[in-house]
Amino acid sequence: MDWTWGEVAKVAGAGFGVTLLVLTLLSLIVWVVSLVTRECESESPGEEKK
Amino acid sequence: MFGLYESAFGALTWGNIVMLLIAGLLIYLGIAKKMEPLLLVPIGFGVLLINLPLGGLMEVGADGEPIGLLALVFRGGITTELIPAFIFLGLGAMTDFGPVIANPKTLILGAGAQFGVFFALIIALLLGSAFPDFLDIGIEEAAAIGIIGGADGPTAIFTANELAPNLIGVIAVSAYTYMALVPIILPPIIRLLTSEKERAIYMKPQLRKVSKREKLLFPIIGATFIILLVPRSAPLIGMFMFGNLLVVSGVTERLADTAANAFMNILTILLGLSIGAFMSAENFLQGESLVILGLGVIAFVASTAAGILLAKLMNLFSKEKINPMIGAAGLSAVPMASRVVQVMGLKANRRNYLLMHAMGPNIAGVIGTATVAGVFLGMLG
Repeated sequence: MDWTWGEVAKVAGAGFGVTLLVLTLLSLIVWVVSLVTRECESESPGEEKK
Repeated sequence: MFGLYESAFGALTWGNIVMLLIAGLLIYLGIAKKMEPLLLVPIGFGVLLINLPLGGLMEVGADGEPIGLLALVFRGGITTELIPAFIFLGLGAMTDFGPVIANPKTLILGAGAQFGVFFALIIALLLGSAFPDFLDIGIEEAAAIGIIGGADGPTAIFTANELAPNLIGVIAVSAYTYMALVPIILPPIIRLLTSEKERAIYMKPQLRKVSKREKLLFPIIGATFIILLVPRSAPLIGMFMFGNLLVVSGVTERLADTAANAFMNILTILLGLSIGAFMSAENFLQGESLVILGLGVIAFVASTAAGILLAKLMNLFSKEKINPMIGAAGLSAVPMASRVVQVMGLKANRRNYLLMHAMGPNIAGVIGTATVAGVFLGMLG
């Protein structure tokens, strides 16, 4: 056995944590960007068609 | 025979015969049952070819350089990781991020459904430590096995190639076989973890309309953000987002078309054949392979369950309830997982059209699994 349970906890715990964090932050960014984009588009409704 | 040439009959082993039966089964599932035919047929035929002795398709020279036809493809496409990465380019060109952009919280469901990857990793290590003489599983091997739970073939191959190249054949076959079996694996888990009332939760069939500008920004922002946080995910996430940008830009139609069709088809043929060709009797017929197939199921079940439970948890805090079944679509198997949710949703409530809602976590699952691969490679690669 060339590993310790500490390493396993780091890989599994931190690995899942990082994945969850990355995608949660991405969802927040997407939400904010969408909000800003829609705001801009509602101010200049003709632009989307150009 | 006759002193002119050597027939392969005398060189056939029982192992070859078993593998030829497995090849027949994969080809049968692909053709007769239409289970992932684009993958199972080339993989099955690759298994068939490699288990006909003396063909030399995977022959390697004394200097370790590939000589055989499929050995050249394997070395050039899989070992170099070109094929899995470029398949992500094609996947990106075939993906519509609209459901994710319209409902960004589905990204969290996609992340939650990666739980099975880590769960299977721990189980694999427990088994490895319980049977050290039988199973040679370290953290790298366990991580490569766990990624089967992401239900994403190219990512599983990409990760296995870096962390456990000796297991790449069985991991690839396990991932693709279980992806094909999603319609059989998902329903009992969903029924077990949700009540009839929860399955009938109504969601408006239409998601909000996503503008072209939002679709254009997503691959650029998504790639930049994820790669900055998880740099080793760059080959997969980078190609995925680039493939999508080719489509949504609206100015590179020819490139998008090639990426999604001709290029993707060529890669699929090469991937399938070379993965199948790695499944020679001596590579595949080991107790370890059966254990890995078993761990693959555990990973799939745990990922599905985690997606559903996370959706139920999110319902506790949200005003507008989501149907917890869409959490099960957090597996990357696009679009099979979404289709299963759609069918079950309609059964529970005839007004419920969950397909587009399920596509959100489904696509998020692809991003999630590629992120997990990047995390693993960053930590262990």
